[in-house]
Formats: sequence, C-alpha cells, structure tokens
Amino acid sequence: MTRKIVRLGFVPLVDCALPVVAHAQGFDVAENIDLHLIREMSWAAIRDKLSYGVFDAAHMLAGIPLAARIGLGGMPAQNLVVPMALGRGGNAITVSTRLYQRMLELAPQIMQGPRGLSARALKKVIEDDRAHGRPVMSFATVFPFSSHNYELRYWLAAAGIDPDQDINIGVIAPPRMFDSLRNGWVDGYCVGEPWNLRAVFHGDGVIVALKDDIWPRSPEKVLGVREDWAISNPDTVSSLVRALVRAAEWADQAENRTELAQLLADEGHVGASFDILKASLGGQPVLRPGGEVIDVPDRHVFYRYTATFPWLSQGQWVGSQMQRWGQAPLDINMAEMVKRVYRPDLYRTAVAGMDVALPREDWRIEGLRDAPDRALVGPDGFLDNSIFTPDVID
Amino acid sequence: MKLEEFSILVIDEDTDRAAIVERGLAEGGYTRVSRIGTSYNLVERVQALAPDVIIIDLENPDRDTLEQMFQVSRAIKRPIAMFVGQSDSSMITASVEAGVSAYVVDGLRQDRIRPIVEMAISRFNAFDQLRRERDEAQAKLGERKLIERAKGILMQQKGLSEEEAYALLRKNAMKHNRKIYDIAQSVITAFQLEF
Repeated sequence: MTRKIVRLGFVPLVDCALPVVAHAQGFDVAENIDLHLIREMSWAAIRDKLSYGVFDAAHMLAGIPLAARIGLGGMPAQNLVVPMALGRGGNAITVSTRLYQRMLELAPQIMQGPRGLSARALKKVIEDDRAHGRPVMSFATVFPFSSHNYELRYWLAAAGIDPDQDINIGVIAPPRMFDSLRNGWVDGYCVGEPWNLRAVFHGDGVIVALKDDIWPRSPEKVLGVREDWAISNPDTVSSLVRALVRAAEWADQAENRTELAQLLADEGHVGASFDILKASLGGQPVLRPGGEVIDVPDRHVFYRYTATFPWLSQGQWVGSQMQRWGQAPLDINMAEMVKRVYRPDLYRTAVAGMDVALPREDWRIEGLRDAPDRALVGPDGFLDNSIFTPDVID
Repeated sequence: MKLEEFSILVIDEDTDRAAIVERGLAEGGYTRVSRIGTSYNLVERVQALAPDVIIIDLENPDRDTLEQMFQVSRAIKRPIAMFVGQSDSSMITASVEAGVSAYVVDGLRQDRIRPIVEMAISRFNAFDQLRRERDEAQAKLGERKLIERAKGILMQQKGLSEEEAYALLRKNAMKHNRKIYDIAQSVITAFQLEF
C-alpha cells in the first residue's frame, strides 16, 4: 500500500520541531504517511497556502485558524480546524541593550524584581521620553494574531502601558527580527526562539521576560488543517496527529535535546547556530550578554503538561485577547467560534489506545497557581494573578 | 476611476520579475506604477505612496508586516483588504498558484481590480517559465563544458584524438546505460582523485 503524502508548511522556529522530528525519526512512515515539509518565511504565506490547498497541514500560530474562521485580516473566511497543539514555550520579550540600560538606570529596583513585572521599568522610560518630547518607541511582534502579540500586550498593559498609545507595535517576520533590533529599527520585540537568544549571544539585546513569566500555559503553535480536508481524510488526520504526538514525546526527552538541536540547526529546518539552539532547548538560556546561565527547565515543552492537547479554554483566551485589543468584534459568540476551530474530539480519536495522558474535560479554568490538575497540566498562573474562566457550551 | 489614475505598488525582492510586472502594467495603460524591494520602513513607504493596489510576491516576509495594516487603522489612512473579493475564489486560487498576493484598497470595484491582478498572475507565470528555460539552458551549457573537459583529460592522459575521446565517452555511456555527461563527470572525478 502506498503511503499518503501530507504536505506540511512550517516557519523556521524552535517549535517547528514536531513535524521535523516526525519526519526525521520516521514517526510519519510508522503511521503510514509521508510528510513533505516545506519551509516558509512568513505566516501570511503559510495561511494562504493552507487555505487554498497548496498545503494539507501547517505549523501555525494559535490565533491564525481562529482569525481565519472569523474572517479577520481582510481575508475571506476560511474553515480551518486545529486537531492538536504543537507544544508550548519558547517565546520571550527582548529589548535592545540600550533600552535595557535605561530601564536599569530609571528603575533599578523593579529590574531586581520578578521578570513578569519588568514592563514597570519600561513605563518609567516611556514617561522620561514623554517629559523630554522624544518620539514613542517601537516594538515588534510576528503577526497580528500571534500569542507573541497578546503576550507583549499583556505584559505592557499589566504595567499600565497602553500598547496602542504609549508605544508603536509593528509586525516583522521572525527571520527578520534580529536585524531589525541590531539596526535600531525597533527597540524591542516578542518572538520565539532562537531569535531572542541570538540577540543576546551577539550582544545586541537583553531578554526581560520569558513566556513563563507572563503565562506559562499561553497557547503557542498549533497544527492547522482545512475542515473539508479533515472531513475527507479522517484516517490521515489521525495518523498525522499520532506521528506528531510521538515526535513530541521524543522531543521532550532531555537525552534527545542535543540531537534535536543538531536537527534543527540544519539550513533546511531552522538554520540557526547549534550553540544557541542547544542552550535554549536545554532550558539553560542566558538572558543578557555576558550574563550567567539560568535554569528554566520548562523553557520548551513539547509533550508533558498536555502540551499537544487543543484546549478549548486556551482557544477562548486567544479569542478574548482578539476582542480585548479590537481585532475581533465584541458581538460574536467567541465560545461557539472556538468550538468550531479547536477540535479536541479529533485529538481524542487519534490518540485513543495510545499511552497519552488526557484531561477529562476539553476546557479548564486557567491561571490557578495551585489547581487540582496541576500534575497533569504543569505550572499555571498569569503575571497579574488573574483567572480566566471560559464559557462552557455543549 | 480611469486606468491611469490607479496607483499600483509592486513589492518584490526579485527585481527582474518586478520589472516584468511593471512593464506589463505600463503596456496595459496603467501609468502610476511604483516598485520597491525590501525595506525596513515599509509601512512609511506604503503610506507615502498610498497605493490603491499592492502586488507582492506571496512568499515575501514583508507580507506579515502588511497584514498588520489591516489591524491598525491609524497606521494607514485607508483600510486595505486582501485579494479581490469574497466571491472570487477561482482568481484567488490562480493567484496562490502563481505566487502572487494582492492587497486592494477597500471599496474599489472588483471589475476594475481584476485586470490588474490578472496581469500580475500572467506575468508571474511567464517569469516562472522564463526562469525554468534559463535554468535548463544553463544546465545544458554546463553539461557541454563538462564533456569538453573530460575529452581534454582523456586526450592528454590517454593520448587519444578528440574524436576517439568522445567515442570512448559515448561507448561507456551506452554500456552502462547512463547519460554521456554522467560518464564525463566520472572521468573528471577520477582524474581529480589521482592528484
């Protein structure tokens, strides 16, 4: 029997690991599919190629399938669905070394405190700029509907900074981020690895907050497929999910992380330096040039903590941020919309019979630091200690 | 709006392709066509040019930056919408296949936009064809050079005439059921190994 070919598009980031590993380790062939991986340099290209059938599946930002379904971004609405998540972690907020020095000078005590609150130091810099009549600073994220955008805004807003008035937030594709910071076109950004550590290693930037400091369970990348394709190819969807879950399990083993760094360093995958990838994947990043290595064991989580489960509550949080920042209208039924896009039912069908830890419900109250399911879902908690309660619908 | 009043911006890192698209639009009667490559201050450039239509390579990373303009109305005066219209899916499919992406100022009539996008699609496809032909021609040229070099080596090393050297290559190609330039490559490799 010939294996079914699945064309999957990805963007060069550490979290493209799952499809890359699935193919390199033969988890695809074991599930009787052949993954054809196609490297793309922009999220818009990924979305368009998936929507119009050039790809069967794609590595996507958690917000893209939802935005596509609602018809945001000037696109005709696209029926994309999310059968699984592709791990979590890896994002960080990096500022230029120059801006970091100013934050230190104006707010040394805040900079000694928790990283999640470091935007309070940024607020001092903004106030200083305003008092001297200087232009507002520019920050960048990777896409309008990215967790990076929502994390950056969350971090800013919690410190009393209005992301739409007090600074400029633009969009730059991940592979171009580092040059933009180095050339002084932006003062800071929120992006996935390896593009934060790269700035630190080259002496151009300082990491002021990790994703874990903002909200460790913030949804990151997901697997996107077209709904019609999922309906016509249910077995292939299941095979694909299983192959990627196996890959996640492999990628999460500490003893495989060095090999994973080598695999991702390849030009055809991420194409970044092995040292940077190894530091990040090993959970031992350096946050500022010449600084000490810190231990962040959950920096990249691919499998444990239900990192591949497409939680409805995470999807709803993304939707709530779209509404909070004026991207999505307030009068749509977001819970209903999320339920059509996020498809834990497809995930549960695919992994049935596998030894995969599953939550009882498809949603949970997010943000409780000592929730009863902590062993299953891992550390939780928003930087401002808020709680997100999803709308439960049948 | 008359043809010559449409302001069209072509963004492409491939300057040859951008030139082909620009020429096509000029021949079609559009006189206000601008062209830019990659630019860090893309938003400013786009604002300054205030195009009615943007034609951009589908895979261009700058597209992610353009996408932001839909979201932030203060970044650009007029909202722009992607592709042509909600109903025109055949054209969108043709665009994606050709690798063309178009951004259009909201409110422009579809029938006025269609020829512009169609022009871009046909020019992208034509350019693709040209590039394929050029690559094939270059590959052929490379093969011929390879065979010449192998012939030279055989003439020098084995004391053969040019015709004898070529006949030897051809004989081996037939015997091993391979292309003549494969044999030539083997000869060159073997020669390089000896030294």
